[in-house]
Amino acid sequence: MSEVSGNPGQMITDPAGVVIDGLHKSFGDVEVLKGIDMTVSPGQVVCLIGASGSGKSTLLRCVNRLEDPDAGRITVGQFEATHEDVNLDAMRRQIGMVFQQFNLFPHLSVLENCTITPRRVLKHSKDAAEEEALHHLELVGLKHLADRRPAQLSGGQQQRVAIARALTMQPSLMLFDEPTSALDPETVGEVLSIMRDLARAGMTMLVVTHEMGFAREVADRVVFLDNGLVVEEGPAHQVIGAPTQPRTQDFLRRVLNPLGE
Amino acid sequence: MALSNRDRARLSLGIQAAIFAGIVVVLIIIIDWTAVQRSFFNLEPVMAMFPEVITVGLWNTVRYTFFGFLFGLIGGTVLALMRIASFPVYRWFATLYIEFFRGIPAILVFIALGFGASLAFGLNLSTLQTASTALAIVGAAYIAETIRAGLQAVPKGQMEAARALGMPAWRAMLTIQIPQAFRIVLPPLTNEAILLTKDSSLIFVVGMAGSAAELTKMGRDGITMYQAGMTPLVVAGVCYLLITVPLSILARRMEERSPTNSSRRRHKKKATASPVSSGVA
Ligand SMILES: Nc1ncnc2c1ncn2[C@@H]1O[C@H](COP(=O)(O)OP(=O)(O)OP(=O)(O)O)[C@@H](O)[C@H]1O
Ligand SMILES: [Mg+2]
Repeated sequence: MSEVSGNPGQMITDPAGVVIDGLHKSFGDVEVLKGIDMTVSPGQVVCLIGASGSGKSTLLRCVNRLEDPDAGRITVGQFEATHEDVNLDAMRRQIGMVFQQFNLFPHLSVLENCTITPRRVLKHSKDAAEEEALHHLELVGLKHLADRRPAQLSGGQQQRVAIARALTMQPSLMLFDEPTSALDPETVGEVLSIMRDLARAGMTMLVVTHEMGFAREVADRVVFLDNGLVVEEGPAHQVIGAPTQPRTQDFLRRVLNPLGE
Repeated sequence: MALSNRDRARLSLGIQAAIFAGIVVVLIIIIDWTAVQRSFFNLEPVMAMFPEVITVGLWNTVRYTFFGFLFGLIGGTVLALMRIASFPVYRWFATLYIEFFRGIPAILVFIALGFGASLAFGLNLSTLQTASTALAIVGAAYIAETIRAGLQAVPKGQMEAARALGMPAWRAMLTIQIPQAFRIVLPPLTNEAILLTKDSSLIFVVGMAGSAAELTKMGRDGITMYQAGMTPLVVAGVCYLLITVPLSILARRMEERSPTNSSRRRHKKKATASPVSSGVA
């Protein structure tokens, strides 16, 4: 991990909180979220765990309105995400999102990936945008690859660029949807350590992950989602270490010991 | 006697080559070469057609096609966006347009425009305007389908990432999705340009002044003018190849270099799966 600087960067000055209240979401006839209540305080890290299909991604995508909720209320900082008059683009600029498949723009260089939105949307000058982007690329240890195309990078490097790209917008909340699930095992660590640095810098983070070690170490709280409902939540050591609900116990047994011995 | 697979393949190739060579030899023997030469490869009209066949005919063909393609590209892009729009009226209109103009012969569009435009609107279109508008109308229908396919070939995550960064939809479309789609559709678009080059010949149904003549018109006029057989059409044909073959080579080059070909990225699904080793009962 020599490439990765251990530098947590500057402290996040204005982390946003998230309040989710009675969130429902269906796709066609299938109700995927069946009334989710949950709070993330400013500066907190909450890990979302749960089986495949339990609705973790959908919940995350409702927060920045990549999905439209059917019912319920979501607020992010001063934005009321579910209000019909909310300025979605302005709200999304406050929310960084990191995807499982990185979703870097393949026709742009690493640096351009990080500067295109500040330049085109925030109307920052080329110099200012590049300076800001290089700063964040340095934090994720990839300043030296700024001129490369995403396709020339390893998966772990691409995901670190994706994080830098999100940070360049100076968000006050970061959403991570299984950021290490598409990575080779040996590159998982470099991404997780950047996320840990970010958490220590005071960023509010909502993280969908199967990395129980990361959740134990970094998360303030862990929320276990099953079949569209929050089944159990609490401090990481409690939910992962000593779950009280049978379904949580069952899920963790399968994740921690996949062969079932 | 047992032939190995490789021997059998060689034998089959040899037989194919022999048959092909035989056909060529027979054609060479039975064709009346002097007659062919007299009416198709007569040097006199060839000399007489230069340099106008290039400076007027080829130039006009290129001009008509260029503007037809340019406006067809713009129209086709708009139609493609309408085709994937969420507002159903846009989708219906685009579908109707595309089905209609792909379904009728291009020559009907030339006739409608050449004779109809002055009747209906009192417009007096120049040959350039008639030809390039007709080509644009027809080309847009084909180009729209090509571009729609290209837009849909861009992974959904691209648009999502752009929107999640706070780009407005039109900005994300313009800076993220359309540039990637164009890279995908550049080779098929070049093929559309080749088709339009040939379709520009249809302007002959409308008629035109000598200075506006494109290649086919020059070829046809040459036949009556020189009374020396079909040679002028052969000259025109060769001139078309001067345009279409380089375009075709260009398309193939771009296909070879397209991102889906060279730097195909590895997308692993869920590397978190259990590290299954041997010895599972
Ligand atoms: N756009 C969509 N249209 C229809 N159904 C969808 C859509 N997105 C998700 N679903 C369905 O909603 C359910 C929950 O999906 P979601 O992606 O939120 O689960 P998840 O907990 O993130 O699972 P995973 O661990 O596999 O990512 C699944 O059954 C899925 O098939
Ligand atoms: Mg998911």
